[in-house]
Amino acid sequence: MTAPVIAAGGGRAALRRNFWRGVWRVLKRKPSRMLGMVIVLGFAFMGAFGPMFYPDPLPRDTAALYAPPSWEHPFGTDFEGTDVLSLLVTGSRYVLLTALVTAVITVVLGAAIGLFAGFRRGRWDSVLMRITDMKLTIPGLPLLLVLSTIWKFTSAFEMGLVLGLLGWGGVARAVRSQTLSLRERGFIEAARGLGLSTTHIVGRELLPSMAPFIAMNMLIAVTGAVYAQVGLFFLGVLPFEANNWGVMLNLAVFGGGAMSSPAALPYLMAPLLAILLLTLGIVLVVDAMDEIFNPRLREE
Amino acid sequence: MSVTPEKKAPGVRVSGLSVVYRTPTGELPAISGIDLDLVPGTITGVVGESGSGKSTLALSLLNAVQSPGRISAGSVEIDGLGDVVKLRGEELRKARGRHIGYVFQAAQNSLNPLKTVGKQLLDLGRSHDVADLRGLVREAKDLLGRMGMDGARVLDSHQHELSGGMRQRVGIMFALVLNAHLVVLDEPTTALDMITQATILRIVREVHEERGLTTLVITHDLGVVAEVADRLAVMYGGQVVEQGPTMEVLGAPRHPYTQGLLRAIPRLVGDIDEARALPGRPPTLGTIPERGCVFRDRCVLRMDVCETEKPPVVSLGASIALCHAVEAAADRDGRADIPPAGGLQEVVGAQGATGVHEVRGEQP
Amino acid sequence: MITGKNITKTFRQRGSVLAGREVRALRGVDFAIEKGGAASFIGESGCGKTTLGRIIAGLETHDSGEITIDGTPMSPLKPRQREPYFRRIQLIHQDPYSALNPTRTIHQTLDAPLALRARQTRRPRSWVDERAEELLALVGLDPAYVLPRYPHQLSGGMRQRVVIARALTVDPDMLVADEAVSMIDVSLRLGILGLLKDLRERLGVSVLFITHDVATARYIGDDGELYVIYRGQVVERGHVETIISDPVHPYTQSLLSAIPVLHGLEQPGEQPVVPTEALDESHHDAGCLFARRCPFRTERCESELPVLGRAEGTPQEHACFHPERRSVVATPIGRG
Repeated sequence: MTAPVIAAGGGRAALRRNFWRGVWRVLKRKPSRMLGMVIVLGFAFMGAFGPMFYPDPLPRDTAALYAPPSWEHPFGTDFEGTDVLSLLVTGSRYVLLTALVTAVITVVLGAAIGLFAGFRRGRWDSVLMRITDMKLTIPGLPLLLVLSTIWKFTSAFEMGLVLGLLGWGGVARAVRSQTLSLRERGFIEAARGLGLSTTHIVGRELLPSMAPFIAMNMLIAVTGAVYAQVGLFFLGVLPFEANNWGVMLNLAVFGGGAMSSPAALPYLMAPLLAILLLTLGIVLVVDAMDEIFNPRLREE
Repeated sequence: MSVTPEKKAPGVRVSGLSVVYRTPTGELPAISGIDLDLVPGTITGVVGESGSGKSTLALSLLNAVQSPGRISAGSVEIDGLGDVVKLRGEELRKARGRHIGYVFQAAQNSLNPLKTVGKQLLDLGRSHDVADLRGLVREAKDLLGRMGMDGARVLDSHQHELSGGMRQRVGIMFALVLNAHLVVLDEPTTALDMITQATILRIVREVHEERGLTTLVITHDLGVVAEVADRLAVMYGGQVVEQGPTMEVLGAPRHPYTQGLLRAIPRLVGDIDEARALPGRPPTLGTIPERGCVFRDRCVLRMDVCETEKPPVVSLGASIALCHAVEAAADRDGRADIPPAGGLQEVVGAQGATGVHEVRGEQP
Repeated sequence: MITGKNITKTFRQRGSVLAGREVRALRGVDFAIEKGGAASFIGESGCGKTTLGRIIAGLETHDSGEITIDGTPMSPLKPRQREPYFRRIQLIHQDPYSALNPTRTIHQTLDAPLALRARQTRRPRSWVDERAEELLALVGLDPAYVLPRYPHQLSGGMRQRVVIARALTVDPDMLVADEAVSMIDVSLRLGILGLLKDLRERLGVSVLFITHDVATARYIGDDGELYVIYRGQVVERGHVETIISDPVHPYTQSLLSAIPVLHGLEQPGEQPVVPTEALDESHHDAGCLFARRCPFRTERCESELPVLGRAEGTPQEHACFHPERRSVVATPIGRG
């Protein structure tokens, strides 16, 4: 044979290159996806580096409380005369980090439990699914209220951990049912017949087939986590020490009376717009997931 | 059986029909310039492999090509209905069912799993403004009974209570119950086993004759059309490459593709070693050659002219073939039939051994 | 060499409507497939041929009976101990579209089992890629073209060849091909059948071919043994050419009669056999399982179950009280 030998290492690197080229192609296919990607990356950048551009503590302009939007303060100022935009940016780190931690825990735990239950079936399946059902019946909000009496949730990781541990049930159920249907497919049966290890079958055959599904769930978990924590802070059930979008909403409504007086309106709108924009970005990106992880749709 | 006297088997004339599909790389032809006549009262079989465009042709008869495909040229004239390509909206919907009955590919799975067959029949009747629903049910029961089933029981059944062969017959009933006289069957026996297939084909034949229909059977299986069809059209790469009376096309195939296909079918008798697969693979939407002959890449009789010129239509007896080699042979011999009368083995043998070189030798 | 003795299997349906209904998929089947030999199971869908194939490939368990692989009975072994035996029997799926993982390239698909094989046999890593190319060439594919591609970029015929190459990665003794050509374009079917025949000759792999189309069974080798299966029972068994030319069981005859005739090229057999009614699994017959559909049944057939055995005057075995030769197969026109 004169065919070129495709070295294992080289082959894998080439595959990875092709994958990213495919991702680029998929994103370019619709302008909306590019927009979504820009928004999501923008928020990621804001959360990661944004707070570095501001001094700590933030400067206050006591002469301009609840100032209207201007060039200097695009979203006005708050009750202490702090620039709302700077609050938004410094507050984003906590919000986005929590969301990320929540999403990772939700997806990793949910996918692992779903895969294991669906692949093993039998007794393991029954036990894990009963646990999942039990978990799904625990009402999240009351539990958080109880927990907040003990915990201060000053760290985004703590918050993410709790939200993540509350959120994996749905993903586990969905991944399990996907696994159950995929394991009947010819290629999984063939892999078993060839004596390939369970690790290989689950990690290399099953998981990639579910990648679009899992990626979508992860992105949706991000928005879910943002809503959940912002909601908690807004309700004021959690004590707050740091900047946070939810805290801003709470102060704008209950402190500034944004619902009745227009002065605090920009203060209220800023975090709302941020949440809206982030959700929009994620929804636009989710649209591309199916094509990114399906080689057929990616290559076309 | 109540066949309304004024309706009878319509003729269908497909001429110059082309369908293109829009893709990121531009519009690609799925079928191009098809001419095909369905003679009233006959069963025509269209046979082709994947990518031959046979299903697209079937959909065109109902003007039901879905986006991103569209009929880009040509006409489909049906007696009593006019040019179907020009029909739109409500007219078209009424024509389907009333004039043209369609049995879908995988009809076994095209029933609504949540409704009984009877309910679906009434839905069909209402959507076509049938005044006499009782009469419709009676007609359905008659048809089902004619096909060897207990009509009342079947109408009371859900999809999962019927076997594959029974569902196929229910599909045929739906196509005929509105008294259509043109029936299109798309892959009527795929996924059925041999005995059920034979039963369905017998039913198709019998119902066709009793009700005076014009029938079109679309299939990938040459055996199916051979069993049931009066006339045969062989499709390849979006074109009808050979057509004519079944006996003639199978008994003395002219086009190299038809010959190759016949040789590639596993048979119960005859020398195993004489049978062989066609080399190469069928073209897909993107790989159909733009110029010249669509079959040339897999053809044993390929000549230089096949690369550039569209093959001529060569009439031989009652059948037609699109092939440069057939034309060259006809010119040389001064007569149409290259192969001597007789079985397939001789046909293939003659061309495989010397025919090719003689034909090629005549090219400048 | 693999043999089966008195294999039975009953499926109990679950779910609300059909709960408790039993389907007897196999009713005591015997078989024996020599090393390097060829055998075909034929019958209608639902006759049990696929179940039997899956049991032989170790993908399904049976209720009773004994499977013996190279002289070792399987029933005393633990599932883990059986694995190496069944790994030498590889199943080729009917559907080459679902048999390959759509998210993995052909290179990745072949790499995994070959890497495992290399570890087991202490071969160097470089052997894996060489072997992948060798196997693809063996099944008639161009490795340079196929290796970097995803399954959706290949035609059905090419995919089925890849599936066969993947089965060969473990150096199997037997391939079980379940309707392996039914989803492939007609013009390419003989290529796959020819490949299976070729692999028998070159590698000494035995082939078990499962199909409802008797004609294809001839093409994996004319020395093959044919098992005609009806409702979980073997009703006729013998040399493939013998059974096609001289079938004696009415069920075999109706299967052969049902094969379409190429009018113009062939003329139909003179005594076609058509079953008197359609298959109905729910019947609990006391006698011959085919009696209800058989045009030639007598009273004896309805009360007594015929067993498979060699009768006088026929080279094959059959399970029929009234075996009779009938001309059911189409013959070519204009020969000689």
